[in-house]
Formats: sequence, C-alpha cells, structure tokens
Amino acid sequence: MYIWSHGNILPKLFIITPMKKHIVAMTALLSVGSLWSQQKKIDYVEYDLPNGLHVILHEEHTVPIVAVSIMYHVGSKNEKSDRTGFAHFFEHLLFEGSSNIKRGEYAQIVEKNGGTLNANTSQDRTYYYEIMPSNQVELGLWLESERLLHARVDKTGIETQRQVVKEEKRQSVDNQPYASFLANMSSRVFKKHPYNWVPIGAMEHLDAAQEEDYVNFYRTFYVPSNAVLSIAGDINIEETKKMIEKYFGSIPKGQGINMYRDFENLSDEAFITKYGVAKTLFTSTNFLKPTEPAAIKALQKQLATSTIIPKPSVIEEPIKGQQVDTIYDNIQLPGIFMGYRFPAQNDLDYPAIEVLNTILSEGASSRMNKNIVEKKQLAVEAFSFGMKSEDPGLGVVATIASDKVDLKLLQEAMDEEIARIQNELVSPEELQKVINQYENTIVSSNSSVAGIAENLADNFMYRKSTALINKQLSAYLTITREDIQRVAKKYLTKDSRVVLIYLPKSSN
Amino acid sequence: MKKYLFLCIATFTNLIIYGQVNRSIRPAGSEAPIINIKESEVFTLPNGITVILSENHKIPRVSFNLVLGSNQIIEGPKAGLGSLAGELLMSGTEKRTKDQLDQEIDFIGATLRSSSQSIFMQCLTKHAEKGLDLMSDVLLRPTFPEEEFERLKKRKESSILSSKSNPGSMASNAEARANFPSGHPYGEIETEATLKDITISDVKNYYRGLFTPKGSYLVIVGDVTKEQAKRWAEHYFGTWQGHDKINSKYNDAYFHNGNRVMFVAKPGAPQSVITVSFPMHIKAGDKDQLLLTTLNGIFGGGGFGARLTQNLREKRAYTYGCYSRANVTEEGSYYSISGNFRTEVTDSAVAQILFELDRIQKAEVTDEELQGIKALLAGNFSRSLERPMTIAQFALNIIKYNLPKDYYQTYLKRLDAISKADILAAAKNYLTATGCNIIVVGNPDILEKLRKFDTDGAIEKLDALGQEVKELKKANISKEVLIENYLNAVTGSTSLKKALKKIAKIESLKRETELTASQIPMPIVKTDYYQGEDKEAMVLTMSGNTMQKSVFDGVKGYEEDQRGKTPMNQETLAAKKKVAGIFPEVNFAKNNVNYQLLGIEVVNGKEAYVVKFSDGVKETFDYFDVATFYKIRSISSEEGNEQIFNFGDFKVVSGIVLPYTMSIDMGGMTLNGIVKNIEINSKIDASIFE
Repeated sequence: MYIWSHGNILPKLFIITPMKKHIVAMTALLSVGSLWSQQKKIDYVEYDLPNGLHVILHEEHTVPIVAVSIMYHVGSKNEKSDRTGFAHFFEHLLFEGSSNIKRGEYAQIVEKNGGTLNANTSQDRTYYYEIMPSNQVELGLWLESERLLHARVDKTGIETQRQVVKEEKRQSVDNQPYASFLANMSSRVFKKHPYNWVPIGAMEHLDAAQEEDYVNFYRTFYVPSNAVLSIAGDINIEETKKMIEKYFGSIPKGQGINMYRDFENLSDEAFITKYGVAKTLFTSTNFLKPTEPAAIKALQKQLATSTIIPKPSVIEEPIKGQQVDTIYDNIQLPGIFMGYRFPAQNDLDYPAIEVLNTILSEGASSRMNKNIVEKKQLAVEAFSFGMKSEDPGLGVVATIASDKVDLKLLQEAMDEEIARIQNELVSPEELQKVINQYENTIVSSNSSVAGIAENLADNFMYRKSTALINKQLSAYLTITREDIQRVAKKYLTKDSRVVLIYLPKSSN
Repeated sequence: MKKYLFLCIATFTNLIIYGQVNRSIRPAGSEAPIINIKESEVFTLPNGITVILSENHKIPRVSFNLVLGSNQIIEGPKAGLGSLAGELLMSGTEKRTKDQLDQEIDFIGATLRSSSQSIFMQCLTKHAEKGLDLMSDVLLRPTFPEEEFERLKKRKESSILSSKSNPGSMASNAEARANFPSGHPYGEIETEATLKDITISDVKNYYRGLFTPKGSYLVIVGDVTKEQAKRWAEHYFGTWQGHDKINSKYNDAYFHNGNRVMFVAKPGAPQSVITVSFPMHIKAGDKDQLLLTTLNGIFGGGGFGARLTQNLREKRAYTYGCYSRANVTEEGSYYSISGNFRTEVTDSAVAQILFELDRIQKAEVTDEELQGIKALLAGNFSRSLERPMTIAQFALNIIKYNLPKDYYQTYLKRLDAISKADILAAAKNYLTATGCNIIVVGNPDILEKLRKFDTDGAIEKLDALGQEVKELKKANISKEVLIENYLNAVTGSTSLKKALKKIAKIESLKRETELTASQIPMPIVKTDYYQGEDKEAMVLTMSGNTMQKSVFDGVKGYEEDQRGKTPMNQETLAAKKKVAGIFPEVNFAKNNVNYQLLGIEVVNGKEAYVVKFSDGVKETFDYFDVATFYKIRSISSEEGNEQIFNFGDFKVVSGIVLPYTMSIDMGGMTLNGIVKNIEINSKIDASIFE
C-alpha cells in the first residue's frame, strides 16, 4: 500500500490486518474481489492498442467520478531470489514523478484536482489507480501514461523510498502480532518457486541493489504489453478512446519504449554506441516519426523486438511429510497455522476449494467457528483460506488459541474438522448457504466504480476473459457435495503440510 | 455528407496514433461536473422511531441500521458492559437459539451485527423480509442465555490479553485515559477486573434501560421504494414500545497546561507508536466544524501535501505514515496525531510534531496549501456521494445536530469561503503545543530521551490497558528484617524477642476515630475493639445510632447494617483467622501467610517499603516508612473495590506507637479521620463480641 488510506483498501500485501478492536482479525483474499452475479450486467468495451496495452472501459453515470487504473502483470513472483521486494518497491518508487512531473508532485496533482490515489502489490501483480472527478479523466490518463513511459527511477527516489519501505515493514509485519506467519509459512511450503518469499521482501536485498538493478526492472516489466488499463465511471467511451490514443497510443511498442527512455536518459555518445544512430535524429514530441532513413531503420528494429517478461516456470515437489516448527513471537495468545499446497486460481478445482474454505470458516455458522470457537472454546478465531494465486499457491487453516488452552487439543480439533469434511459429505443446506453468501459478495463487489475497474482488470489478467465478470456465480453453481469432499481429501493433506506453532516470546 | 465526416475522423485518429503529443503540457480538466445530492426521505413511526430512507437502485441490496437515541452510559467499575450486552443480543431469542440465528443469517448471505448502541442488517433485496424478521427478533426478543454470557466473557478475557501485545491498542488505551481520566465513557477501558464485575443482570438492565424506540433512528439505505420501506418499518419495528431515551451526563475532558509524557513499555519493539493528543472545546454540529476539518487537512489529515506527511515521511523518512485527526462528537472532542516511528528517531519525531503544532499556530498557511486542501476536501465530498450510506448519514446528522436543512447542499460553498485568517484563528483556538499528552509505546531504552518533553520532568508510566504502573525501587533488606524492624519500632524495642513480649502483653485495645467527609453532613464515629489474639469488632455510629457493625470472635462472625445481619462465610472466616489482631504481622509465619516485599515506592513524598500479602479473600499492600518503619499506608482490594488507608500523627500510648490520624479513600470519597481516644488493656464489654 502506498499512502494513507482513508478508504477501504484491502491490504493485499499481507493478508493480516488488525480489524477488530482486540483480536487480530485476518481477512483472506479469497472470494472477495473478482466475482459477479448475473443480476446486473456490467457493460464494457475492450481492445488492444498496437503496442500491446489492453484497454477496458465501463461507462456509467450514477455519480460524476471516474476510476482510472493500470494493473501491471508483475508481482513478487517475478523477482530474482537475491532481489526480493522489488515489485513492491516499485509500487513506491513510481510515485516519485516522471520526466514531466517533479519529485513528490504526482500525488499532489491528483489531490489538487479533487482526486485520490493509491496502489498495492501482490505476489502476481501491481495495481495503481486514481479516482477523479469525471472532468479530470484526461489528467488521470496523462498521469498513468507518464508513469508507464518514463517514471523517475533515480538515486534520490530510491534512497527515500528504501527508508519508507523499511518503516512499512516494521509497522505492518515486525510490530504486528502473528504477521510474520506468512513469510514463515511461505518459505517452508515453497522451496523453489518464488512464492517462497512475500511481497515486502528482504530489506538486505533492497539495500544491496544498485540503481542499475532498479532501472532494469523498470525496463523489463513496465511496458505496455504487460499492462491492463481499466477505466470505469462517468465517461464518454468514444472521447475516452481518443484520449487513450493520445497518451498511450504514442508509447512505442516492443523495445521501442526502452529506446525512447534511452533517448531521454543517455548521452549522445552512449546512444550512438547502442543504436548506431545519433540522438539528434529524434524528437521527444514526435519520436515515432523520424525522417532520416537510418533513424527509421534503427527505430523499426526496436519496435519489432518484443519484450520478454520473465515468469517462474519451476514445478514444486509436494511438501514432504508433515513439517512442524515453533515460532516465538511478541504475542499473548498462541496460534496454530497449517500450510498446504493449493492449485492455481484457474484450476478447475479452485471454486470447490473456495466453497470448502467458506464452509469451514466464513460466518458465525461455519464449522470451525461453531465447533472450535463456540462449542469447545479452544480458540478465539478460526480461519481457512487460499491465496488465490496465479501459480499453485498457499492454503492455510489457522486458529488463535483461547487463553490457557492445551495446544494439542486445539490441533486435534482442527484436524477433526478437516477429517470430517473429508469423510462425510457436506449437507445440501451448507452448499446452498455458500452460494447465497457468494451471491451477496459478488453483488457488493461492484457497488463502486473503483471496484468495477479492478474486477474487470482481474478477470482479464487472471482468468483471460473479461466477460467472466458477468458469470462469476456460475462457476460455483455446478459444484457438488462430492466435489467438496474430493478437494478436501486432495488438498488438505495431513501427511504433506507445514504446521507452525506460534508461542509467546516470554515462554521461550 | 456522411462519407466526408467519416474521412475526417479517420484522418484525425491517424494523426494521433503517429502524431505528436507534447507530454510536458498537463491536461486541464473540462467543465466541472454538477454535484447533485439526492434528498433523503424522513418520516416517523407512532412509537417514536425516526426513519431515514436513502433510495439507491444501483445494486439489488438493502440495509437497515437501527441506532438508539440514548447516549453511552458511564460504566465505571463495569467498563465493557455495553459492548458485552450489544454482542450478547445476538446470542439467542425467544424464537431462535444462537445456532439457529447464525444458520439463518448465513443462509441468506446477510450481515447482522449488534452493538451497544445499534443493530445493523444488510442483505440482497430478495432476502429483505427474512433479514428483517431476524433483525427484529434480535432487537425485540433477546434472551441473554447464561452460558453464552459466560462464553463471551471468557472470549473477551482472551481479547484483552491479546490487545496487550498490540501497540496500536496500547496507545489508544493510554490516549483515552489521558484525555478522559474520569466520569466519561471515552476514558473507560475494559480490564480483566471490570469484566469480572459484570453480571448477567447488569446486561439485562442495560438492554431494558437503553433499548427503547423513543428517540431512536432507523436508517434504510439501498434498493427499496418509499412505500415498501414504510411498510417494512411499521411491520417489523412498529410494535416495539418503550420509555423515554436515556441521556447520561459526563465529566469534561481533562484540559491541562504543560505537556505530559506518558510511556507504555513494549520491550523489544522495533518501532515506537507516538500519539500526541489533547481535548478540544467543540461539539458535533458546531459552525467551526468544517473549518477545523480544513485546518486538520493542512496539518496532517489531508493526504500527501499535509505538513506531517511532508515533514516526517517525505523529508525525513522517519515513518511510513503520520496522520492527525480531529475527533469531534457531541459527547467529547479531542485532537489526535499518531504514527509509527523507528525507535532511534522517537524523540526527534516528537520534536517535529510539536514543532509543526507550534508553527501552524504562529503563522498563516500558504495560499497553495489552502487551495490544495479545498480541492482535496471537495473531491472527497463528491466521491463520498457514491455511497448511498453517505446520503443517509447526512440526513441523520441534520436531525441529530440540528443543522440547517441545506447544510450539505452548501458544503462546497462554505468550504470555498474559508480564508487563511480563519485557519490561523482556528489553529490558535483549538490546537496547542503546550497542553499535549505525548504518548509513546515503545522500547524502554528510549524513555530518558523523552523526559525533556515533559513540562515537570515526571514521565507517567502506563501499562497496556492505560493503568498507571507503580514503579518500585529495589529494597535493601529482606522481608523478615523489615517485619522485625516494624515490630521493634512500634514497641520501642531493640530486639524481636522483646517486641513480641510487649505485644503479647496487650490484652485489649479500644480506639475511637471521628470520620468526616464533605459529602456527609455529620461525623461518623468508628470504634475498633481488639481482644486477646483474635477477637475483633468494628462499630460505625452517626449521631449515636449504629449504622454498621462487624464482629469476629475468633471462630465465627457477622456483618450487620440497616438491612440486617449477614453471617461470615467459611472463606471470610478463614481469612480473618489468618490476619487477626492489631499486629497480624506477628503471626504471618505461624499462619502461613504468603507475603512479599515488592520494593520501595514514594508515598506522599516519603520512601516506603511495599509489602503485599493476601488473606485468601482480599489482597493488601502495606507501606512502611523507610526512615521510621511505621506503617503509613494500607491498600486493600477485594473484587475490584479498592480502599486506601493513610496513617499519620504517630504517638506513644502505653509504650506502643499508634497513628492518630487516618484517612480512608474509597473510590471517589475521602473520609478524614482523627483518633479521639485509645485505651489499652481497659475492660471491654464481652457483649461487644456477641
């Protein structure tokens, strides 16, 4: 997360957020965010620009505001293992300004024009948005195009943001009870895949990185073909398309964008050495139309060279056996966190897994809440959720113990609930209940233009089909009770999991 | 014609794709959109409920929020009662058990929550009637089952425990205590002791007292027509009857001159939470409220350009974020500045916050700052209108705070009219840099660096729940030596053996003390009797009439007051036996009393040894003067009720040193006692112990 939050930004960076007054509540990313029912159709227009930028537009005039967003397909899983935390670091760095926006001015321009902005980073993507009065949609587009084309990636910005990110980590992880569980769990559940680390990354890596590392990251991942521009709200689609052409259509495709960045940043000599033509043959306002044949040729070559986006290709072995570890933390109540390997969110099993998790722990009538929290009173909170990630990822079943409870009994109770859902079919009512709960969630997720813009981009990026925004409930309607039993057996595996026991530091 | 037009567009588009764009020109906005605020519907039900309806059909969802008209009560030693009662509402009704309720709510995917002051339900429109049936059942027919009460209490105990490791709640507890130290609901903090004090009948009384339709509001928002809303409101809430709403009165917040530093230790914390806070004289609905919001926006609440963010995050990178907030309500208002800072810069960060507080009261803000915040607040206002709940909240505020009908219609106009001089005046009026509570939660190593910010140099130390931490110096003698010295001192002896001999010679003691207090019209006479090793009695009289009596004859005993006689139970008798006599310390070893010497504390300017012991019923802290070894204070607490005795004016009577003044502090009332007469070894009427 970038700046203060007046609003309701779901912290995607860490799945832990202190919500209730006393108990640390955990909100999972699970079902919220990317579902939609058939009830009110979301209309939209989508197309690709020649440079590969995907554009999605949704027009509605309920309130005179507009959400302008870009989702970049880069998250912590695209990082190198000795340069973790980069994706999130960029989320900070890219508010520093651009060739045409002075340092520190980016957010102020938005605010002085009545808008608000923020950004967040997950393992799989980085998301930036502005919500503006509708007469400022062009300003929003200009700002985002500046960020994409030529953001300030320099020493001064890097130094400031390094400190800020360190404070963010201290505040949201180091000084928060249980918050270290995600990093501790990820590093044990994943040995090869970059899900081994969490988006905040290692501060040593940020310290060790040179300016060049940062510049290369920007040149690799911040290119139009790796981004989705999603706009929702009080706009005129045709007029907005023209503005998009102006600010984004003018961004060169392929390696052309990096040639343009070099044109702005390199000396004459360095430019000639690299491209074989003089910088003076190009202009910044009309970069794509040089007149000299040599310049045209050099540019064409770069435009034709597409940018390769590195993506992890490793296949993790299953977790070997049950690995149990104890972590001592600044907490008062112990906790038990069980980590499993879940499939990718596009896997056909995933909707059944979500239903499984909801039956276990969503709502007061859920099984873990009824039995472990209320009846047996062994725990004060119970959770089960999946990270809903692009590659096969993490699944968690967890509880925070009641005061003075035998942790062995608590773990047995957790295993008992898992065994029950593996051995017996859930009731038809339980299944129907979950469908009703999802219908509500899906309807609510599109109550704001900001929510719609993000949902549209999510469906395109992860599920490869924007149209699914209008069919979100259907994936769940075909799930059978047998499916739930099957996925419970397949994924909540007792002989292949990581169990972390969190104990208060004083008992160490 | 048509063809021509088509060509024209094509050329234009072409030009943009391959054409120029001068990126250094920041696009100017088109004409500003017109802000429309839809009016809410307001109507009343015959039973006294005011219904506010904000219709919005964007999504097929509807919500109902029933907000009580009564304000929060003072909970005192039962802090946490309201929140417990509110939560317990959902624990079963005359029609449904808790399990049935939970099942039925989840089955329609609804949200149903209850709190000390409200009940809220939200669901898809198609489930509205089912949702309302559940909501009104919870409101009208809760049963407060005993076992759920016990379970929730236990759960809250765990919550309190877990909040003790959360730096944010540690800071807000301290802040609450600092601004509202007594007689105000904002300063009441739930602790293990207050929770223990709450009974199921307290909960039922709370519900009966506060939950009444008169003066309450039903706020309906979303996909529902006015006709339907009316029908539902009447059908589900119209039959509810009740008395007038309750209007509790509170003490003022604590305004003080000079900065106080309050420190909450969190050993090993990588960051310090700093909260700088002070109360303000303003109430919700005040004409200055928008001005204060604007001022706060420039200072630290209004986004990226705010001074706190610019200084502490952008310029110095001390923090991920530091923000300020003006908390303005009808009941009490305070200003709060808060952030997480890395430990090494804690004191520098405090200095910068105080510097900014001082600066904004000394000079006008810049034109740029003022224009910036106006644009930001106007934007926030416009964006907030996307939520239908906002529109309903506007209507509720207009009614509750008696605002002009067009208060929100004129919001942007009033915002625009604010000047730099207005901001400066508001800063001088509402903010302070010299009457602050500076609260720091962090590593104890940084404590000394904070002393310079405290006007009198005495840092107050609080625990995680905002209670004062008593600091003890280590004692230089053992507990046995202390007791020996005490007994020697009061008997004027040079050895324990001689002292015990002298004490053994005291056959009986009678003492009359006159107690006065400003709240009591005439003095109370307290007479204490001791006989032999273990007989004792106490009689309170006023104008010659016995008000209260307590008797223990060594085996059995009773308490008596105007309501009658209550025999002491086994527990109390066992406790009495353990610590009977004028000098129960004599028998500590023999009676197996577990006592500890905790250390040395300063009491009324004198150093004193602190001894803690328990008789099994109550816990007692005795304070012995380091210089004289006399017992100068005794604090005993039983189930959260604390009594403090202070002793002074020591005189020798028949070779024994005894105090001639005694003040008793019992939760808000102080009785001043002067000993009128002490008789040793005179005959005591045996009937006294009957």
